[in-house]
Amino acid sequence: MSAILSAHDLNKSYGKFQVLKNINLTIERGKVVGLIGPNGAGKTTFLKSVLGLLPCDGELSVLGIDPFKKRPELMKEICFIADVAVLPKWIQVSQLLDFTEQTHPNFSREKALAFIAKTKIKLNHKVKELSKGMVAQLHLAIVMSIDAQLLVLDEPTLGLDILFRKEFYNNLINDYFNHERTIIITTHQVEEIEHILTDVMFIKDGEIVLNADMDTLKSEYFEVMVNQTNYQQAMNLKPLTVKKVFGKYIMLFKAESKSKVSPLGEVQRPSVSDLFVALMQEEQS
Amino acid sequence: MKSKMKTIAALLKLEYWEHRGAFVKTPLIIGLVMGVITILAYATSDRFVVDLSGGDNLKLAISTLEQLSDGQITMGLDIFMLSTGSLYHFILFILIFFFLLGSLYDDRKDGSILFYKSLPISDTQTVLSKLMVATIIAPMAFTVGLMISHLFVFLILSLILLFNGLNPFSLLWSNTSFISNWGAFAIGCIVQALWALPLYGWLLFTSAVAKRRPFLMAVFAPLVAGFIWYWYNALVNLNLFKIGFFKTIGILFAKATTPFASGIDQPKSGSFEFDPSEQSNLDVIQGMLNGLMQIELVYGIIFAAVTTGLAIYIRRYRNTI
Repeated sequence: MSAILSAHDLNKSYGKFQVLKNINLTIERGKVVGLIGPNGAGKTTFLKSVLGLLPCDGELSVLGIDPFKKRPELMKEICFIADVAVLPKWIQVSQLLDFTEQTHPNFSREKALAFIAKTKIKLNHKVKELSKGMVAQLHLAIVMSIDAQLLVLDEPTLGLDILFRKEFYNNLINDYFNHERTIIITTHQVEEIEHILTDVMFIKDGEIVLNADMDTLKSEYFEVMVNQTNYQQAMNLKPLTVKKVFGKYIMLFKAESKSKVSPLGEVQRPSVSDLFVALMQEEQS
Repeated sequence: MKSKMKTIAALLKLEYWEHRGAFVKTPLIIGLVMGVITILAYATSDRFVVDLSGGDNLKLAISTLEQLSDGQITMGLDIFMLSTGSLYHFILFILIFFFLLGSLYDDRKDGSILFYKSLPISDTQTVLSKLMVATIIAPMAFTVGLMISHLFVFLILSLILLFNGLNPFSLLWSNTSFISNWGAFAIGCIVQALWALPLYGWLLFTSAVAKRRPFLMAVFAPLVAGFIWYWYNALVNLNLFKIGFFKTIGILFAKATTPFASGIDQPKSGSFEFDPSEQSNLDVIQGMLNGLMQIELVYGIIFAAVTTGLAIYIRRYRNTI
């Protein structure tokens, strides 16, 4: 295992407002990392730095390359979808394939055509004639046809309906991901990508507040469903969060208190989104 | 190196796809309009009865044509070809002006810059490709468009002549010097690009910098700078016209819009009047080339290099708006 990305004391400010604060992290090859944080936490700024779109202070190395200084070189090895609607509107699908083929050494036109053939997109369509979902499919088809080592997805499915979103991630994992490749995803719909992630990072106010692999994360926390009779007893053990569902209480605890809590109710694995909410609240209190 | 050339070629092709409506169709549409005007003029000529002609314009026209010497016909055709050429130069400049203004701004506005930046294309390649469209691709498209338009108009004229029992080959085609007229236009395009280079550089710079409305910045920033300069001179040095800031810009615009007249020395009013009846096509070429032997051209190219360099530098830091 080798690090595909390493950041050391990464800082970025806009005037007095510090967007990224001393970020230190490494991402290993072959991971699917979810970068999760509230709006304005610095996710996009961090990703833009990784993609060489923004300069920042500190050390940042992606595949051994300084992204801002050598973006064109880096882009041979990584690709990204920054938003759903960034493909030029006026272009024809076939022209887009021609252009990508001529500018990207690792792009396979055959693969792209095969992906597109599975959709309703026609080669003589213009991008502006496609629906939002189809544009996302097209962009994904292009990106998946690039033999890249790192794929960065920043809210790739924003504004798409649930069917497109599911298909998007299914294609990504089944047709693209292998253990040589690395994927970094940010999204607000955490529950939809939870099952494909190997690692999660929570970012808040420009700081990484949690960086763990999924197994560790899930073994460090657990949820208990408690009914009314055991409610007070469970509350005394200070759960991280409590939510009421159908007259029962679902409480989140850290693993240390498992022996005391588990007799009080039914134990279950927490979801990443619940953990995220809990940790964000914990920070605040 | 080979892959870099391939990338530039792909970028130029992309610009061609995006802007062929402006640069390829415009000259053809003007040619079509010229052809239609010719037909309309012919079809309506009988309606305007002028006493002098004895009531029949067409007969008069035909008899006049027959009496004209070859030299006079050639001159008349040259005037037509050079003045349409001059019109094409002017329109070409206007199109390039707005193309460059949007070239590094529109993709930031609609977000597609994020797609382009996800490909292994450097900002230098991107900016230079825009400049190459302005100086090479668009003028080439216009040259071909002008040639097709001229041939189209001549074809219509030939049909009209044939219709009236005149020989278009002896009257029209053999009296036309296509090579030197089209050559004058093509050389005019090169001269135009050279004189307009500082303006192109400035437009690229404003297009890369502007957060909104690059047009306002491109036009008003020099105006403000010019006025400050004049007031500074007026108040501090009491020497109002030390360096003609607006005059320089005016001359550049004049040369960029009317390259045929760029060889004429020191225009008095800051604008050039191109009069094709005064000069033959070879005179025009000679004049334009002589006009290039000016130190101002070198200053302009240096200014263009600086502004284009700044545009590339700024482009690195710019994403979506």
